[in-house]
Amino acid sequence: MEIRKPASAGTLESSDAMVTVEPGTGIELSLTSSVMNQYGRQIKKTVLETLERLDVKDAKVTVVDKGALDCTIKARVECAVFRSCDKSENNIDWGGVIR
Amino acid sequence: MYITQISPRDSRAMKQVEALLARTGLTLDGHLDYTCGVFDEDENLVATGSAFGVTLRCFAVDPDHQGEGLLNQVITHLVEMQTRRGNLHLFVYTKPASAKFFRDLGFYPIAEVPGLLTFLENRRTGFSDYLKSLSASGGAGEAGETAAIVMNANPFTLGHRWLIETAARESRTVHLFVLSEDYGPIPASVRLRLVRDGVADLPNVVVHETGPYLISRATFPGYFLKSEEKILRTQAQLDTALFVQIAKTLGITVRCVGHEPHSLVTALYNDVLSEALPAHGIRCRIIRRLHTADDRVISASTVRQAIHDGCLDSVADMLPETTLSFFRSPEATPIIAAIRAESDVVHY
Repeated sequence: MEIRKPASAGTLESSDAMVTVEPGTGIELSLTSSVMNQYGRQIKKTVLETLERLDVKDAKVTVVDKGALDCTIKARVECAVFRSCDKSENNIDWGGVIR
Repeated sequence: MYITQISPRDSRAMKQVEALLARTGLTLDGHLDYTCGVFDEDENLVATGSAFGVTLRCFAVDPDHQGEGLLNQVITHLVEMQTRRGNLHLFVYTKPASAKFFRDLGFYPIAEVPGLLTFLENRRTGFSDYLKSLSASGGAGEAGETAAIVMNANPFTLGHRWLIETAARESRTVHLFVLSEDYGPIPASVRLRLVRDGVADLPNVVVHETGPYLISRATFPGYFLKSEEKILRTQAQLDTALFVQIAKTLGITVRCVGHEPHSLVTALYNDVLSEALPAHGIRCRIIRRLHTADDRVISASTVRQAIHDGCLDSVADMLPETTLSFFRSPEATPIIAAIRAESDVVHY
């Protein structure tokens, strides 16, 4: 999927994460987390895996994590990506790349 | 509890915003273009935050509700609003004591005036990327005196030209920074273009945009500082801290400013610069201002006033050909109309 315009999803509330995606070259990830020392690597892995599954090759991704579970991070990344190419309104590939 | 936008016309809610700010020792900033608040079940305001352009400001959380994550909700709301506006690169000016809350929310400190002010942005490498873009734009690393000038050029006059020429004669390279912020009737793009046109014949002058890092005095958020003078000094100190970083990147050894006989504010700014810069190995050189043949001081505010009063010809001797012909061209018509519509064109 191609990131066409900036979009974000999620909140800064506890147990959530705010994910912003913008057009970019290659994957450029900037992560802030309240549990960086404990789970920083795991969060990074989840974000990158989700982007790969959605076939996003070029994006500037900012994640501000407030202790979100993996499933939440996944959902926020998916939502931000879909919003960035206006696919959130329809054509969501339930059961396809979204699983 | 719920969070909602507060219209500036909603006087009941705005009174609550002012009261809440007052309880935490703040006042409502004069420059806001969006305000939101969190209300409890009884419609009492318990947290608030506002925005102006790409800056977030005027945050307060009811002391009885601190530790409930209300600031997070407020920032989330404001960031979403800014995303809808297309603003992803955001800035916060706050007390150093509050900076940690913003650091937890994805903001990174750019510069600090100890004890008074921390300036943050939500890009980890925002300022360092800006510095890189500056050194890529040329002129860096050469031997000899390298000068810098920062100006509004609102609009570009012969006074600016004189300052630049003087610096250019004495230095190998002059880095000329034009404030990028859009405010007032003359758009930033026009200010920048008139500067570029006006110095095109000076080969050793490199024109830069300040980007979002140096902002105009007019929109500097000083609502958390006690007095007008403190606000001015603090802004000057913050500018100095940012400028020193820029100077290091470009090898700048002297900062040239125009002598200011009339405006106390600018004189104070120059004072702070000349006190602070030498500690960083940068000289501060104050250059005498240029007068017209009939001994009037050339100033951009005089020019704006003349345009406002519809007598551009009376200041023709203050303007270089490039600026003058722009304001006589049809392209300037909407800008002139905007200047004429302002009630006060002197104080920006």
